[in-house]
Amino acid sequence: MDTFKLEIITPNGEIFNDKALSVTLPGEEGEFGVLAHHSSVSTLLEAGVVDIEKEDKTIESVLINWGVVQVDETKVVVLVEGAVAIRGESESAIATALEEAKTLVKSIEDAGQAIASVSAKLENAAQRLI
Amino acid sequence: MANLKDIQRQIKSVSNTQKTTRAMKLVSTAKLRRAEELARRSRLYSDKLNQVIAEIAGRLKCNTVGGIDSRYFEEVDNAHTVDIIFVTADKGLCGGFNIQTIKAVKKLLKEYKDKDVKVRLSGIGKKGVEFFKYNETELFESVIDLSSKPDKKRSDEFIKTSIEDFNDGKVDAVHIIYNGFKNMMTQELHVNRILPVDTEKFDCEASEAQSMLEIEAQDEEKMLNSLVTKYVEYNMYYALIDSVAAEHSARMQAMDTATNNAKDMVKSLNVEFNKARQAAITTELIEIISGVESMK
Repeated sequence: MDTFKLEIITPNGEIFNDKALSVTLPGEEGEFGVLAHHSSVSTLLEAGVVDIEKEDKTIESVLINWGVVQVDETKVVVLVEGAVAIRGESESAIATALEEAKTLVKSIEDAGQAIASVSAKLENAAQRLI
Repeated sequence: MANLKDIQRQIKSVSNTQKTTRAMKLVSTAKLRRAEELARRSRLYSDKLNQVIAEIAGRLKCNTVGGIDSRYFEEVDNAHTVDIIFVTADKGLCGGFNIQTIKAVKKLLKEYKDKDVKVRLSGIGKKGVEFFKYNETELFESVIDLSSKPDKKRSDEFIKTSIEDFNDGKVDAVHIIYNGFKNMMTQELHVNRILPVDTEKFDCEASEAQSMLEIEAQDEEKMLNSLVTKYVEYNMYYALIDSVAAEHSARMQAMDTATNNAKDMVKSLNVEFNKARQAAITTELIEIISGVESMK
Protein backbone atom coordinates (compact mmCIF):
# COMPACT_ATOMS: atom_id res chain seq x y z
CA MET A 1 0.00 0.00 0.00
CA ASP A 2 1.28 3.43 -0.86
CA THR A 3 2.14 5.93 1.81
CA PHE A 4 1.86 9.71 1.92
CA LYS A 5 3.46 12.39 4.03
CA LEU A 6 1.38 13.61 6.95
CA GLU A 7 2.12 16.73 8.96
CA ILE A 8 0.14 17.86 11.98
CA ILE A 9 1.13 21.37 13.03
CA THR A 10 0.08 23.27 16.18
CA PRO A 11 1.02 26.81 17.27
CA ASN A 12 3.55 25.16 19.58
CA GLY A 13 5.27 23.09 16.92
CA GLU A 14 4.77 19.88 14.97
CA ILE A 15 3.30 16.90 16.74
CA PHE A 16 3.43 14.52 13.80
CA ASN A 17 5.58 14.53 10.73
CA ASP A 18 5.98 11.14 9.18
CA LYS A 19 4.72 8.79 6.50
CA ALA A 20 1.27 7.32 6.93
CA LEU A 21 -0.85 4.69 5.20
CA SER A 22 -4.13 6.38 5.93
CA VAL A 23 -5.67 9.03 8.13
CA THR A 24 -9.22 9.54 9.38
CA LEU A 25 -10.22 13.14 10.01
CA PRO A 26 -13.23 14.66 11.79
CA GLY A 27 -14.55 16.87 8.97
CA GLU A 28 -17.30 19.42 9.42
CA GLU A 29 -19.78 17.19 7.66
CA GLY A 30 -18.63 13.96 9.18
CA GLU A 31 -15.59 11.80 9.39
CA PHE A 32 -13.62 11.07 6.26
CA GLY A 33 -10.62 8.96 5.48
CA VAL A 34 -7.69 9.86 3.28
CA LEU A 35 -5.40 7.42 1.52
CA ALA A 36 -2.44 8.13 -0.72
CA HIS A 37 -3.24 9.73 -4.09
CA HIS A 38 -6.34 11.42 -2.75
CA SER A 39 -7.55 14.32 -4.88
CA SER A 40 -6.72 17.84 -3.67
CA VAL A 41 -9.12 19.24 -1.15
CA SER A 42 -9.14 21.79 1.65
CA THR A 43 -11.67 21.72 4.43
CA LEU A 44 -12.34 22.64 8.02
CA LEU A 45 -12.15 20.11 10.81
CA GLU A 46 -14.24 19.94 13.94
CA ALA A 47 -13.21 18.94 17.41
CA GLY A 48 -12.57 15.22 17.38
CA VAL A 49 -10.02 12.48 17.03
CA VAL A 50 -7.61 12.06 14.14
CA ASP A 51 -6.65 8.41 13.62
CA ILE A 52 -3.38 7.88 11.82
CA GLU A 53 -2.44 4.49 10.42
CA LYS A 54 1.30 4.55 10.41
CA GLU A 55 3.66 2.71 8.10
CA ASP A 56 4.00 -0.19 10.53
CA LYS A 57 0.19 -0.47 10.57
CA THR A 58 -0.11 0.71 14.16
CA ILE A 59 -2.72 3.36 14.79
CA GLU A 60 -2.00 6.59 16.57
CA SER A 61 -4.76 8.90 17.80
CA VAL A 62 -4.51 12.67 18.10
CA LEU A 63 -7.22 14.73 19.74
CA ILE A 64 -7.83 18.12 18.15
CA ASN A 65 -10.16 21.01 18.99
CA TRP A 66 -10.24 22.79 15.63
CA GLY A 67 -8.37 22.40 12.42
CA VAL A 68 -8.03 22.87 8.75
CA VAL A 69 -6.67 20.26 6.40
CA GLN A 70 -5.04 20.55 3.03
CA VAL A 71 -4.87 17.34 1.08
CA ASP A 72 -3.02 16.81 -2.13
CA GLU A 73 -1.83 13.69 -3.88
CA THR A 74 1.36 13.16 -1.95
CA LYS A 75 0.94 15.18 1.18
CA VAL A 76 -1.60 15.95 3.90
CA VAL A 77 -1.10 19.01 6.08
CA VAL A 78 -3.32 19.40 9.12
CA LEU A 79 -3.23 22.72 10.95
CA VAL A 80 -4.72 22.44 14.39
CA GLU A 81 -5.04 24.81 17.28
CA GLY A 82 -4.96 22.55 20.31
CA ALA A 83 -3.90 18.93 20.00
CA VAL A 84 -2.83 16.06 22.20
CA ALA A 85 -1.29 12.88 20.82
CA ILE A 86 -2.22 9.71 22.67
CA ARG A 87 1.13 7.97 22.76
CA GLY A 88 3.97 7.15 25.08
CA GLU A 89 6.65 4.64 25.87
CA SER A 90 5.19 3.50 29.16
CA GLU A 91 1.75 3.06 30.64
CA SER A 92 2.22 6.10 32.84
CA ALA A 93 3.18 8.26 29.86
CA ILE A 94 0.04 7.13 28.05
CA ALA A 95 -2.02 7.87 31.15
CA THR A 96 -0.57 11.39 31.32
CA ALA A 97 -1.36 11.97 27.65
CA LEU A 98 -4.89 10.69 28.21
CA GLU A 99 -5.26 13.02 31.16
CA GLU A 100 -4.11 15.98 29.04
CA ALA A 101 -6.52 14.94 26.32
CA LYS A 102 -9.39 14.88 28.79
CA THR A 103 -8.58 18.42 29.88
CA LEU A 104 -8.71 19.48 26.24
CA VAL A 105 -12.04 17.67 25.79
CA LYS A 106 -13.39 19.53 28.80
CA SER A 107 -12.28 22.88 27.40
CA ILE A 108 -13.98 22.03 24.09
CA GLU A 109 -17.17 21.09 25.93
CA ASP A 110 -17.02 24.34 27.85
CA ALA A 111 -16.98 26.13 24.53
CA GLY A 112 -20.37 24.55 23.87
CA GLN A 113 -19.54 21.93 21.27
CA ALA A 114 -21.06 18.52 21.65
CA ILE A 115 -18.55 15.75 21.25
CA ALA A 116 -19.96 12.84 23.14
CA SER A 117 -18.22 10.17 21.14
CA VAL A 118 -14.79 11.65 21.59
CA SER A 119 -14.18 10.52 25.16
CA ALA A 120 -15.07 6.94 24.30
CA LYS A 121 -12.74 7.05 21.31
CA LEU A 122 -9.91 8.32 23.46
CA GLU A 123 -10.35 5.50 25.95
CA ASN A 124 -10.27 3.00 23.09
CA ALA A 125 -7.10 4.51 21.71
CA ALA A 126 -5.45 4.31 25.12
CA GLN A 127 -6.62 0.70 25.59
CA ARG A 128 -5.09 -0.26 22.29
CA LEU A 129 -1.73 1.04 23.39
CA ILE A 130 -1.72 -0.57 26.82
CA MET B 1 40.32 63.65 48.61
CA ALA B 2 37.76 61.12 49.69
CA ASN B 3 38.24 59.07 52.76
CA LEU B 4 39.83 55.62 52.32
CA LYS B 5 36.93 53.86 54.04
CA ASP B 6 34.40 55.61 51.81
CA ILE B 7 36.16 54.50 48.66
CA GLN B 8 36.45 50.96 49.94
CA ARG B 9 32.76 50.86 50.69
CA GLN B 10 31.95 52.19 47.23
CA ILE B 11 34.14 49.60 45.53
CA LYS B 12 32.37 46.85 47.44
CA SER B 13 28.95 48.15 46.50
CA VAL B 14 29.80 48.46 42.81
CA SER B 15 31.25 44.95 42.69
CA ASN B 16 28.09 43.62 44.31
CA THR B 17 25.99 45.35 41.67
CA GLN B 18 28.23 43.83 39.06
CA LYS B 19 27.57 40.37 40.46
CA THR B 20 23.83 40.95 40.26
CA THR B 21 23.89 42.26 36.71
CA ARG B 22 26.08 39.40 35.58
CA ALA B 23 23.69 36.88 37.11
CA MET B 24 20.74 38.61 35.46
CA LYS B 25 22.50 38.46 32.14
CA LEU B 26 23.04 34.72 32.49
CA VAL B 27 19.41 34.18 33.45
CA SER B 28 18.24 36.16 30.43
CA THR B 29 20.53 34.21 28.12
CA ALA B 30 19.01 30.96 29.29
CA LYS B 31 15.46 32.25 29.04
CA LEU B 32 16.13 33.76 25.63
CA ARG B 33 17.18 30.40 24.28
CA ARG B 34 13.90 28.86 25.38
CA ALA B 35 11.77 31.75 24.11
CA GLU B 36 13.54 31.74 20.78
CA GLU B 37 12.97 28.01 20.35
CA LEU B 38 9.26 28.47 21.02
CA ALA B 39 9.05 31.30 18.50
CA ARG B 40 10.90 29.24 15.92
CA ARG B 41 8.59 26.23 16.27
CA SER B 42 5.58 28.48 16.13
CA ARG B 43 6.69 30.11 12.90
CA LEU B 44 6.03 26.87 11.03
CA TYR B 45 2.36 27.10 11.97
CA SER B 46 2.17 30.72 10.91
CA ASP B 47 3.74 29.96 7.55
CA LYS B 48 1.21 27.24 6.82
CA LEU B 49 -1.72 29.28 8.09
CA ASN B 50 -0.72 32.24 5.95
CA GLN B 51 -0.34 29.94 2.99
CA VAL B 52 -3.83 28.48 3.39
CA ILE B 53 -5.43 31.90 3.86
CA ALA B 54 -3.56 33.37 0.90
CA GLU B 55 -4.69 30.48 -1.26
CA ILE B 56 -8.35 30.69 -0.43
CA ALA B 57 -8.51 34.48 -0.25
CA GLY B 58 -6.57 34.66 -3.50
CA ARG B 59 -9.06 32.37 -5.22
CA LEU B 60 -12.00 34.33 -3.91
CA LYS B 61 -10.44 37.65 -4.80
CA CYS B 62 -9.48 36.69 -8.31
CA ASN B 63 -12.37 34.46 -9.30
CA THR B 64 -15.27 36.39 -7.83
CA VAL B 65 -16.62 39.59 -9.24
CA GLY B 66 -16.27 42.38 -6.75
CA GLY B 67 -13.65 40.64 -4.69
CA ILE B 68 -14.17 39.06 -1.31
CA ASP B 69 -17.43 39.84 0.36
CA SER B 70 -16.32 39.83 3.96
CA ARG B 71 -15.83 42.54 6.51
CA TYR B 72 -12.50 41.00 7.45
CA PHE B 73 -11.05 42.09 4.13
CA GLU B 74 -12.85 45.35 3.54
CA GLU B 75 -10.87 48.55 3.73
CA VAL B 76 -12.71 51.18 5.74
CA ASP B 77 -12.09 54.72 4.53
CA ASN B 78 -13.69 56.70 7.32
CA ALA B 79 -12.85 54.78 10.42
CA HIS B 80 -14.57 56.06 13.54
CA THR B 81 -13.20 53.68 16.16
CA VAL B 82 -9.97 51.71 16.12
CA ASP B 83 -8.42 49.28 18.57
CA ILE B 84 -4.76 49.58 19.47
CA ILE B 85 -3.25 46.71 21.41
CA PHE B 86 0.27 47.00 22.74
CA VAL B 87 2.56 44.43 24.32
CA THR B 88 5.30 45.43 26.73
CA ALA B 89 7.31 43.53 29.33
CA ASP B 90 6.24 43.04 32.94
CA LYS B 91 9.66 43.98 34.20
CA GLY B 92 12.09 46.78 33.52
CA LEU B 93 15.90 46.68 33.42
CA CYS B 94 15.91 45.94 29.73
CA GLY B 95 17.16 49.19 28.21
CA GLY B 96 14.84 51.04 25.86
CA PHE B 97 12.72 47.98 25.16
CA ASN B 98 9.48 49.15 26.77
CA ILE B 99 9.86 52.82 26.05
CA GLN B 100 10.22 52.17 22.31
CA THR B 101 6.87 50.43 22.25
CA ILE B 102 5.26 53.17 24.35
CA LYS B 103 6.60 55.84 22.02
CA ALA B 104 5.17 54.04 18.99
CA VAL B 105 1.81 53.73 20.75
CA LYS B 106 1.80 57.44 21.55
CA LYS B 107 2.65 58.28 17.97
CA LEU B 108 -0.20 56.18 16.59
CA LEU B 109 -2.58 57.57 19.23
CA LYS B 110 -1.72 61.08 18.14
CA GLU B 111 -2.14 60.24 14.46
CA TYR B 112 -5.67 58.98 15.09
CA LYS B 113 -6.47 61.84 17.41
CA ASP B 114 -5.53 64.33 14.70
CA LYS B 115 -7.90 62.53 12.36
CA ASP B 116 -10.64 62.65 15.01
CA VAL B 117 -10.86 58.90 15.29
CA LYS B 118 -11.82 57.34 18.59
CA VAL B 119 -9.17 54.97 19.90
CA ARG B 120 -9.67 52.07 22.27
CA LEU B 121 -6.30 51.34 23.81
CA SER B 122 -5.69 47.89 25.29
CA GLY B 123 -2.46 46.73 26.80
CA ILE B 124 -0.59 43.63 27.89
CA GLY B 125 2.41 44.00 30.19
CA LYS B 126 2.84 45.81 33.48
CA LYS B 127 5.29 48.43 32.27
CA GLY B 128 3.13 49.80 29.48
CA VAL B 129 -0.10 49.55 31.45
CA GLU B 130 1.44 51.45 34.36
CA PHE B 131 2.81 54.11 32.07
CA PHE B 132 -0.57 54.89 30.53
CA LYS B 133 -2.32 54.71 33.89
CA TYR B 134 0.16 57.22 35.28
CA ASN B 135 -0.45 59.50 32.31
CA GLU B 136 -4.17 59.17 32.81
CA THR B 137 -4.78 57.63 29.41
CA GLU B 138 -7.80 55.41 29.61
CA LEU B 139 -7.19 51.74 28.92
CA PHE B 140 -10.01 49.68 27.52
CA GLU B 141 -8.58 46.36 28.64
CA SER B 142 -5.35 45.50 30.38
CA VAL B 143 -3.60 42.34 31.49
CA ILE B 144 -0.38 42.43 33.40
CA ASP B 145 0.93 38.93 33.81
CA LEU B 146 0.47 37.56 30.32
CA SER B 147 3.52 38.93 28.57
CA SER B 148 6.05 37.08 30.70
CA LYS B 149 4.17 33.78 30.35
CA PRO B 150 2.46 33.69 26.95
CA ASP B 151 -0.56 31.42 26.99
CA LYS B 152 -2.60 30.70 23.89
CA LYS B 153 -5.90 30.41 25.71
CA ARG B 154 -5.59 33.66 27.63
CA SER B 155 -4.31 35.45 24.56
CA ASP B 156 -7.37 34.22 22.61
CA GLU B 157 -9.67 35.52 25.30
CA PHE B 158 -7.95 38.87 25.27
CA ILE B 159 -8.31 39.40 21.52
CA LYS B 160 -11.85 37.96 21.41
CA THR B 161 -13.57 41.28 22.23
CA SER B 162 -11.70 43.03 19.46
CA ILE B 163 -12.64 40.39 16.91
CA GLU B 164 -16.29 40.40 17.98
CA ASP B 165 -16.52 44.18 17.99
CA PHE B 166 -14.86 44.31 14.60
CA ASN B 167 -17.42 41.84 13.32
CA ASP B 168 -20.28 43.89 14.76
CA GLY B 169 -18.94 47.03 13.17
CA LYS B 170 -18.11 48.73 16.45
CA VAL B 171 -14.43 48.80 15.56
CA ASP B 172 -13.01 49.52 12.11
CA ALA B 173 -9.42 48.42 12.50
CA VAL B 174 -7.24 46.55 14.96
CA HIS B 175 -3.56 47.28 15.40
CA ILE B 176 -0.96 45.41 17.40
CA ILE B 177 2.21 47.15 18.53
CA TYR B 178 5.05 45.20 20.03
CA ASN B 179 8.80 45.02 20.10
CA GLY B 180 9.85 41.79 18.42
CA PHE B 181 12.97 39.71 18.27
CA LYS B 182 15.27 40.22 15.31
CA ASN B 183 18.53 38.76 16.47
CA MET B 184 20.57 38.54 19.67
CA MET B 185 21.61 42.17 19.34
CA THR B 186 18.57 43.92 17.94
CA GLN B 187 14.88 44.17 18.52
CA GLU B 188 12.47 45.24 15.87
CA LEU B 189 9.40 47.33 16.54
CA HIS B 190 6.26 45.96 14.87
CA VAL B 191 3.23 48.10 14.23
CA ASN B 192 0.87 45.67 12.51
CA ARG B 193 -2.66 46.16 11.38
CA ILE B 194 -4.20 42.73 11.85
CA LEU B 195 -7.77 43.65 10.89
CA PRO B 196 -8.95 44.20 8.23
CA VAL B 197 -6.58 41.76 6.55
CA ASP B 198 -4.53 43.32 3.81
CA THR B 199 -5.69 41.83 0.50
CA GLU B 200 -2.83 43.32 -1.48
CA LYS B 201 -0.53 40.49 -0.59
CA PHE B 202 -2.78 37.82 -2.08
CA ASP B 203 -1.64 37.30 -5.51
CA CYS B 204 -3.76 35.73 -8.22
CA GLU B 205 -1.00 33.78 -9.88
CA ALA B 206 -0.11 31.85 -6.75
CA SER B 207 -3.70 30.77 -6.33
CA GLU B 208 -4.03 29.85 -10.00
CA ALA B 209 -1.37 27.26 -9.50
CA GLN B 210 -3.54 25.67 -6.86
CA SER B 211 -6.63 25.57 -9.02
CA MET B 212 -6.67 21.81 -8.65
CA LEU B 213 -7.80 22.43 -5.13
CA GLU B 214 -11.43 21.62 -4.59
CA ILE B 215 -13.53 23.47 -2.11
CA GLU B 216 -17.27 23.65 -2.24
CA ALA B 217 -18.35 27.16 -3.09
CA GLN B 218 -20.49 27.87 -0.05
CA ASP B 219 -17.76 26.50 2.14
CA GLU B 220 -15.16 28.85 0.88
CA GLU B 221 -16.35 31.91 2.71
CA LYS B 222 -17.22 30.07 5.86
CA MET B 223 -13.78 28.52 5.85
CA LEU B 224 -12.14 31.84 5.21
CA ASN B 225 -13.96 33.53 8.09
CA SER B 226 -13.08 30.74 10.43
CA LEU B 227 -9.47 30.91 9.28
CA VAL B 228 -9.27 34.66 9.69
CA THR B 229 -10.41 34.41 13.30
CA LYS B 230 -7.68 31.88 13.96
CA TYR B 231 -5.24 34.03 12.04
CA VAL B 232 -5.95 37.06 14.21
CA GLU B 233 -5.82 35.00 17.40
CA TYR B 234 -2.58 33.49 16.30
CA ASN B 235 -1.09 36.89 15.46
CA MET B 236 -1.87 38.04 18.97
CA TYR B 237 -0.21 34.96 20.43
CA TYR B 238 2.79 35.32 18.19
CA ALA B 239 3.18 38.97 19.25
CA LEU B 240 3.41 37.70 22.82
CA ILE B 241 6.01 35.03 22.21
CA ASP B 242 8.04 37.26 19.93
CA SER B 243 7.92 39.99 22.53
CA VAL B 244 9.20 37.65 25.27
CA ALA B 245 12.15 36.63 23.13
CA ALA B 246 12.91 40.28 22.39
CA GLU B 247 12.58 41.23 26.05
CA HIS B 248 15.17 38.68 27.09
CA SER B 249 17.56 39.69 24.35
CA ALA B 250 17.16 43.37 25.35
CA ARG B 251 17.72 42.55 29.01
CA MET B 252 20.72 40.44 28.20
CA GLN B 253 22.26 43.33 26.34
CA ALA B 254 21.38 45.91 29.00
CA MET B 255 22.83 43.73 31.72
CA ASP B 256 25.97 43.10 29.72
CA THR B 257 26.50 46.86 29.37
CA ALA B 258 25.80 47.33 33.06
CA THR B 259 28.35 44.67 33.98
CA ASN B 260 30.97 46.33 31.78
CA ASN B 261 30.22 49.75 33.23
CA ALA B 262 30.55 48.39 36.76
CA LYS B 263 33.89 46.87 35.79
CA ASP B 264 35.16 50.23 34.53
CA MET B 265 33.90 51.93 37.65
CA VAL B 266 35.66 49.47 39.97
CA LYS B 267 38.83 50.08 37.97
CA SER B 268 38.72 53.86 38.36
CA LEU B 269 37.72 53.55 42.02
CA ASN B 270 40.73 51.32 42.60
CA VAL B 271 43.00 53.98 41.13
CA GLU B 272 41.41 56.55 43.39
CA PHE B 273 41.80 54.26 46.38
CA ASN B 274 45.51 53.75 45.67
CA LYS B 275 46.05 57.47 45.30
CA ALA B 276 44.28 58.16 48.59
CA ARG B 277 46.29 55.45 50.33
CA GLN B 278 49.56 56.87 48.96
CA ALA B 279 48.53 60.35 50.10
CA ALA B 280 47.83 59.04 53.59
CA ILE B 281 51.25 57.33 53.75
CA THR B 282 52.97 60.49 52.56
CA THR B 283 51.20 62.56 55.21
CA GLU B 284 52.21 60.08 57.92
CA LEU B 285 55.84 60.11 56.76
CA ILE B 286 55.93 63.90 56.76
CA GLU B 287 54.55 63.88 60.28
CA ILE B 288 57.22 61.46 61.51
CA ILE B 289 60.05 63.28 59.76
CA SER B 290 58.95 66.69 60.97
CA GLY B 291 58.60 65.23 64.50
CA VAL B 292 62.19 63.90 64.35
CA GLU B 293 63.42 67.22 62.94
CA SER B 294 61.81 69.18 65.75
CA MET B 295 63.49 66.98 68.39
CA LYS B 296 66.98 67.80 67.06
